[in-house]
Amino acid sequence: MRFRVLPYLEALVGLVVVTWLATAHPAVLDLASAALLFLLPVLLGATRGGVGPGLFAALGGAAAYNFFLIEPRFTFQVHRLDNLVSVFVLVAVALVTSRLATRLTAREAEAREQARLSAEVAELSALLAGSPASSALEQGLAALSARYGAIRLLDGTHLPEGDAAFSPLDLSAAAWSAHNGDTTGHGTEVMPAADWTYLRLAPKNRTDSGIAALARPVDGATRGQVELEHLAELALLLGQCRDRDQLENERSERERLKQADELRRTFLASLAHDFRTPLTVLSGRLSELAPTSEAARDALGAARRLERLMADLIGAARLESGALAPVVDSIDLTDAVAAACAALAVPPGISLARAVPADLPFAAGDPVLLHHVLVNLLDNALRHARHRVSLKAEAAPDRILVHIDDDGPGIPKAERERIFQRFQRLDGSDRDSDRGADGTSSGSGLGLAIVRGFAEAMGMTAAASSSPLGGARLTLSLPPFRGTAR
Amino acid sequence: MSRVLCVDDEPAILRLLSVVLAHDGHEAVPAATGREAMARLAEGRIDAVLLDLGLPDRDGLELVSAIRAAGPVPVIVVSARSDVAEKVAALDLGASDYLVKPFDGDELRARLRAVLRQSGGGTGGPVVHGPVAIDPARHTVTVEGRPVSLTPREFSVLQCLAEAGGRIVTHAILLERVWGKAHREDVEYLRVAIRALRIKIEADPSQPRLLRNEPGIGYRLDASD
Repeated sequence: MRFRVLPYLEALVGLVVVTWLATAHPAVLDLASAALLFLLPVLLGATRGGVGPGLFAALGGAAAYNFFLIEPRFTFQVHRLDNLVSVFVLVAVALVTSRLATRLTAREAEAREQARLSAEVAELSALLAGSPASSALEQGLAALSARYGAIRLLDGTHLPEGDAAFSPLDLSAAAWSAHNGDTTGHGTEVMPAADWTYLRLAPKNRTDSGIAALARPVDGATRGQVELEHLAELALLLGQCRDRDQLENERSERERLKQADELRRTFLASLAHDFRTPLTVLSGRLSELAPTSEAARDALGAARRLERLMADLIGAARLESGALAPVVDSIDLTDAVAAACAALAVPPGISLARAVPADLPFAAGDPVLLHHVLVNLLDNALRHARHRVSLKAEAAPDRILVHIDDDGPGIPKAERERIFQRFQRLDGSDRDSDRGADGTSSGSGLGLAIVRGFAEAMGMTAAASSSPLGGARLTLSLPPFRGTAR
Repeated sequence: MSRVLCVDDEPAILRLLSVVLAHDGHEAVPAATGREAMARLAEGRIDAVLLDLGLPDRDGLELVSAIRAAGPVPVIVVSARSDVAEKVAALDLGASDYLVKPFDGDELRARLRAVLRQSGGGTGGPVVHGPVAIDPARHTVTVEGRPVSLTPREFSVLQCLAEAGGRIVTHAILLERVWGKAHREDVEYLRVAIRALRIKIEADPSQPRLLRNEPGIGYRLDASD
């Protein structure tokens, strides 16, 4: 504490006044009352200036009392012991009062400091919350830098190695803070020789925290415990702001993707719609004429094929664009197979046999996508079969298998993966030869690619092998339904 | 001979519909907009409506509700939109059936026959549907004259489907009528009941000819072939 003269002067003035009062009117004041008067400068000195001025007033008061008031006057001799008591009382009052006053002053200063720190936290919060998300962090950093010196934000997992501003010791301190959650570096107990102080941007329990690096004070001082705790709190505020910033970015990115998705979906839906209207007129008119005209029958077959090609093209576009959103539900394969068979025309001369056990577990999948998959698989088999196509469903451990067999030419081993790729047809084999009743070319080269794409989107798999019937076997493997997730 | 209101903004489709309907001796009453459709309907003597959802002046689904609110005339949606959600929405709003363009003329006529037959029928008495006869009063079912014993749930499902008279009933409606509102989405309940029903009433339960499913939409009781 600095030495201050003023309280001593005040105490001295007090002493002079009290001494004058006591000596000038001896008739009014008796000795005891005069002694009490000498307490006043002691209280004044102790409260205003602490122990020093208090003791000064006490000893000065005792001396003045002895010299001016106690017989023999104008000497410092003390004849009676009880006069000593007043000296002790004055000293004791000075000590106690000054102690109380000092404590009170310290408390007051502490409260003022606390209020200042709280105000600073509130100020930073308001600044971060009030600024637009994009610039809030920058503004907050600028405000803190202006008060506390240079601040840099570091990524806790990618520390700036090779940056001249950070010595190896500093990097270790930063890593420690990132991993152990403490405030480290200059001014702390962990690696205090570092040039920066490292404060976490997220609470201890989070492992993905960023770090704020705070340069040591320019005047060479060391930050105190209270200030470091306060800075740690401010760093957390910056961290919250950064998190908010990131969340905001992620949210707007998601929103953008959703809109793009929506646009694609709408486009594909309207494309399908625009194709379907003329096709309806075409196939509708032709089917009215078909019973009496072979030309109309041929044209009708072509129109029907066109419908299927269109469905495949749109299916491929949905796969390509990622606009597929399977809605998984329980599926009874009896239903799915019956619906698929009903949607197909079996060409004359070919038989389609199906066997779905009545106790087959329910499968999990999107009923509409599965319908498309089964129709494409059956259509593929019907186009390549000589006489027979068979569909057989069976339960396997943890899966449900659907085999679709034909007695056609089969698929060479080397080609069994390739047929599921887009626009793949087997060259030199009659895998793509026409089997339709209409005499037009068939197969878009997309059918099996869509089978695989749709199947995988629903957690199913599709594979080719050889069939006991002599031709190809295509097997769809479905996951069993395990109840609703609700 | 019935008068069928055909609502579509494409003149070629309207002409096609009138040819398809003429086959069964029905008269097509054309309307190109929602406004025109409501006007024709108000004039009366319309037995059924074939409705395209993509109209220039009015949302198709909204029109479904409007037509249903105006009277007991059955509506078949004939749309180029094949979205499952839209089909279900149209059916739940009261459409009797839903056909996706391009449609098959024979199928359209069959569905139309089903709704026309139904709109004349009453309720309460025994319902006969192909080989299946249901007596709601006595809670009994016979298939080709042979009595079949059903659980109350199976009976309710079959009754719901039979009352719809060959029209499709959505999963949600069946579940709500038989199991209650809280189970509108528990499609597997329905699958279990349908499977049990098939074993009891179908000649070959693995190749159902009576209880037909439309993927993602619902079931129909269809004894037509």
